[in-house]
Amino acid sequence: MSLAKIFSVSSRVRATGASSLVARHAQYSTEGKVEKVYPPNIPGYKYVNAEDPNMSMKEMSNRAAQTLFWTELARGFAVTLAHIFKEPATINYPFEKGPLSPRFRGEHALRRYPSGEERCIACKLCEAICPAQAITIEAEERKDGSRRTTRYDIDMTKCIYCGFCQEACPVDAIVEGPNFEFSTETHEELLYNKEKLLSNGDKWESEIATNIRADHLYR
Amino acid sequence: MSLGKILALDKLTNFFNALRQNGGIKGSLYKLYRQDELKDGKLVGEDKYGNKYYENARYFYGRNRWVEYNDKVYLNYDGSQVPAEWFGWLHYKTDLPPHQDPSRPKYKWMADFTENMSGTTGQYVPYSTTRSKVEPWVPKKAA
Amino acid sequence: MLRQPLTRALKLSSPARAAPLAARTFAAQPPAPEKFEVFIDDKPVQVEPGTTILQAAALVGVEIPRFCYHERLAVAGNCRMCLVEIEKSPKPAAACAMPVMKGMRVKTNSDLTKKAREGVMEFLLVNHPLDCPICDQGGECDLQDQSMAFGSDRSRFTDIHFSGKRAVEDKDVGPLIKTIMTRCIHCTRCIRFASEVAGVDDFGTTGRGTDMQVGTYVEKMFLSELSGNIIDLCPVGALTSKPYSFAARPWETRRIDSVDVLDPLGSNIVVATRTNEVLRILPRTNEEINEEWLSDKSRFACDGLKRQRLVTPMMKDSRGNLTPVEWEDAMVAAARALQDCPPGKLLAVAGDLADAESLVALKDLVNRLGSENTCTEQYFPLEGAGIDLRSSYLCNTKIANVEESDFVLLIGANTRFEAPLLNARIRKAYIHKDTDVAFIGPKVDLTYDYTHVGDSASILKDLASGTSSHEVMKRLESAKRPVVILGADQLKTPEGAAILAYTQELALRLQDKLEDKSWKVLNVLQRTASQVAALDIGYKPGVGPVLQDGPKVVYLLGADSGVVSRDQLPKDAVVIYQGHHGDVGAAMADIVLPGAAYTEKRATYVNAEGRAQQTLAAVSPPGKARDDWKIIRALSEIVGERLPYDSLDEVRDRLSQISPALVTYGNVEDNNYFAQARALAQSLQKPVSGKVDVQLKQLEDFFMTDTISRASPTMAKCVQAVLKQKQSKY
Repeated sequence: MSLAKIFSVSSRVRATGASSLVARHAQYSTEGKVEKVYPPNIPGYKYVNAEDPNMSMKEMSNRAAQTLFWTELARGFAVTLAHIFKEPATINYPFEKGPLSPRFRGEHALRRYPSGEERCIACKLCEAICPAQAITIEAEERKDGSRRTTRYDIDMTKCIYCGFCQEACPVDAIVEGPNFEFSTETHEELLYNKEKLLSNGDKWESEIATNIRADHLYR
Repeated sequence: MSLGKILALDKLTNFFNALRQNGGIKGSLYKLYRQDELKDGKLVGEDKYGNKYYENARYFYGRNRWVEYNDKVYLNYDGSQVPAEWFGWLHYKTDLPPHQDPSRPKYKWMADFTENMSGTTGQYVPYSTTRSKVEPWVPKKAA
Repeated sequence: MLRQPLTRALKLSSPARAAPLAARTFAAQPPAPEKFEVFIDDKPVQVEPGTTILQAAALVGVEIPRFCYHERLAVAGNCRMCLVEIEKSPKPAAACAMPVMKGMRVKTNSDLTKKAREGVMEFLLVNHPLDCPICDQGGECDLQDQSMAFGSDRSRFTDIHFSGKRAVEDKDVGPLIKTIMTRCIHCTRCIRFASEVAGVDDFGTTGRGTDMQVGTYVEKMFLSELSGNIIDLCPVGALTSKPYSFAARPWETRRIDSVDVLDPLGSNIVVATRTNEVLRILPRTNEEINEEWLSDKSRFACDGLKRQRLVTPMMKDSRGNLTPVEWEDAMVAAARALQDCPPGKLLAVAGDLADAESLVALKDLVNRLGSENTCTEQYFPLEGAGIDLRSSYLCNTKIANVEESDFVLLIGANTRFEAPLLNARIRKAYIHKDTDVAFIGPKVDLTYDYTHVGDSASILKDLASGTSSHEVMKRLESAKRPVVILGADQLKTPEGAAILAYTQELALRLQDKLEDKSWKVLNVLQRTASQVAALDIGYKPGVGPVLQDGPKVVYLLGADSGVVSRDQLPKDAVVIYQGHHGDVGAAMADIVLPGAAYTEKRATYVNAEGRAQQTLAAVSPPGKARDDWKIIRALSEIVGERLPYDSLDEVRDRLSQISPALVTYGNVEDNNYFAQARALAQSLQKPVSGKVDVQLKQLEDFFMTDTISRASPTMAKCVQAVLKQKQSKY
């Protein structure tokens, strides 16, 4: 009943085309007695507005008795009672967690090679492709002559988690890890620097490597 | 369909099972207080931080794996306390718990897991990892 | 050397390449040969005989890919990237080396051409490493761009185990250039540049086929004052800049056009910046000054802009230590010193990097305070015409025209280190135009052969009077377009006035006899970027006489060459230093006002030929440092002698009142009044007995000459490298 009411409000506009057609049809056939064919019964259309209550004596007394004895209340309680014994439809986070894809794009991390050497070679492709311009890289030559970053900052509040950075990375250094539970109390804590990203990588390597392997057929 | 199921007696069995598994009435009340839920399941493993992982296929997908956080944290449990190794199993990415998955890398440099430290003294504070761009001139001190 | 018939036959004869200024017609030039028509992709184009297909294609806007061809170097034709199909020819031909013939029909877009390019590209890539992500050339790499544009869209390279990729050992060629020789595609541009333009014949190839290597054969550094240009020339990442290594990508830098001030030529540069940091300096093509080259000091001294900087005002405290203070305190103290100073006892000295705006502001302020003592560090004889006639302190021939000369006489000017790009011009004339060079002064290496006339000043006297019996005299007399270049350092000596007088006499005597009346012979090569503007504005050259009066307040505007020292000043003299680097000047100052360096301000500089050019602000001044003219303007307000300009445009209006030449940017006016200067100099032709000496004799002298290059670690490394190379047996 209530659903039908809600629906009638929103679909009145859409139904006008049909009803005017119906009205015209009625005019032709009944010559002025428009209310007699209302509601119309046309195949393909369903009348969704509130219908006039039946005003026969039996129906009226039935309705009055139900109102008087609060039967709706009792039926409502019964529904509620039944749901206590049913399995809930929600999950009990943080004890239960929903399914995630290996491709899920969460918190960023900078990875290392198995030797412990950082992967990032400061090619700056991620910085170039980042549509939100959240990545800032500065680089210089390390003592051993290799190309390394001195600054690798990601503003996680600018980041839109599109994953372009990990797509652009030629050495799988920057990845969007599986973690999404990194909310913070202050804005500053989300301005990640290189150390933070590397430590993310060190913490999450087990899961990141497994995700990459799970997805390797499609890369 | 068995008679017990028709009479919803299996619910009763499950209830008593859960009660027994969670340490009797007292233990169950404690569990309910901490987790708002009483579930029975198979203990799949325990990580090095003392969190226990359970599975019970009777519950629907999404509720059939769960973690019970280490008792030491009491009510300060947090979703980020699940370490990276168990993360995939708990999020249904893999059916292999980490101790049964030989392909998971174990390198010396891999760091211990930490939970989200925001709001504590251990929180991350951003800092610059570069030198300052301009070196100012420092005048010689008169002797 | 290179002056051989073979190289002459290969010499560049592009009509489109000639500098606009040099294109002026000289009486002796032969009439232009008749043009004929060729067709590039069916587009007709009229060209002169001897034009190559590549040049003809450029005329109709068809770009032919190339690696080895460079318009300022000899044609090598070894990369084969420019292969094009010619109608009725069975094989594709190299467009860079193939001269057009009448009615030739070239197809630069045919299937054959495309296939040839794809093939060449495939061969190049077979032995090119796939290390673009760590290559500094990435983003500005010809090989990257052309393999995208002209290469095949798929690879046939199946050697995924990388067993056969060529690997070449890297060479150590000095502290400026990093070599990754595996990336080399053997275009030999660096070899040709080194032997043709730089004049240091160190590079070459060894081996052939897969074993071919570009290198120095023995372990030797490539030490030249122009070495940095091979970084720009290298089409791949084989030669990259060491100080800039891994610093930035070309797409993330902001590029601001500016002007170099570390030598008197005012080479045009592009300053590449990122996050308010000057990362590198590249040359900007200006045919009239630097073509597309840049000297190493101008290019690599930019890391000196980040060190030894004055970032905050400073004042001497009670213990005599300079301590950082607020602007307000420093300005008030400076203003009090200026107010308390007796009118004649105020001395302002402009250093070698001062811009015209701050020069004029300082002069106006000093004049309003009742003093006329505004001086430059570099001396110039005031006797005779002195600095009243602009022609006596400028390079009147103009840099580009030196290329057209047929005889160059250098008098105490080691152009190689004082103005490397002018020397490159002379060398270009020497190689391509058979210009001969004579040199008076100590024996130095100018990278080309010259007639050493001697180092005695009296030779000049004989030449000027025409009584010399030296063969140079005859050559000078018979030259159609002679050039005489006098180094400004000679004028510092007591005989400077006489040397200038003789040079003027010699030059003007030669000039009078020339058929081409528009040709100017006399050149005085200044040593610093600020000197010409300072003399134009009316600064007195040299501080000598004023110092003897015992000035009470000395205002140093970036004066760091040490001509003013504490010992020469009275004990109670107050020294105010305004500048951007902590060096000699700041160390002796009582009050330090931090100014902006040339990359941090929009300012006017006038180069040695009298060409006003402006630098643009690429970054903001560090810390509390401010624009120089604004500091002086603010100080004038506190002193109570407010200068009547509030904006840069108003300062420039003031500059144009003094001399319109100071604000006609990019232009250079022809100078006249040579005869008057000569007449005034007649009386100064006194006997001279001294020797002509130059300050910068060796390459190690070249690198550190001013506050910026002295603060630069790269320049220090260069000096070390040169000294180390001297120890080496090669």
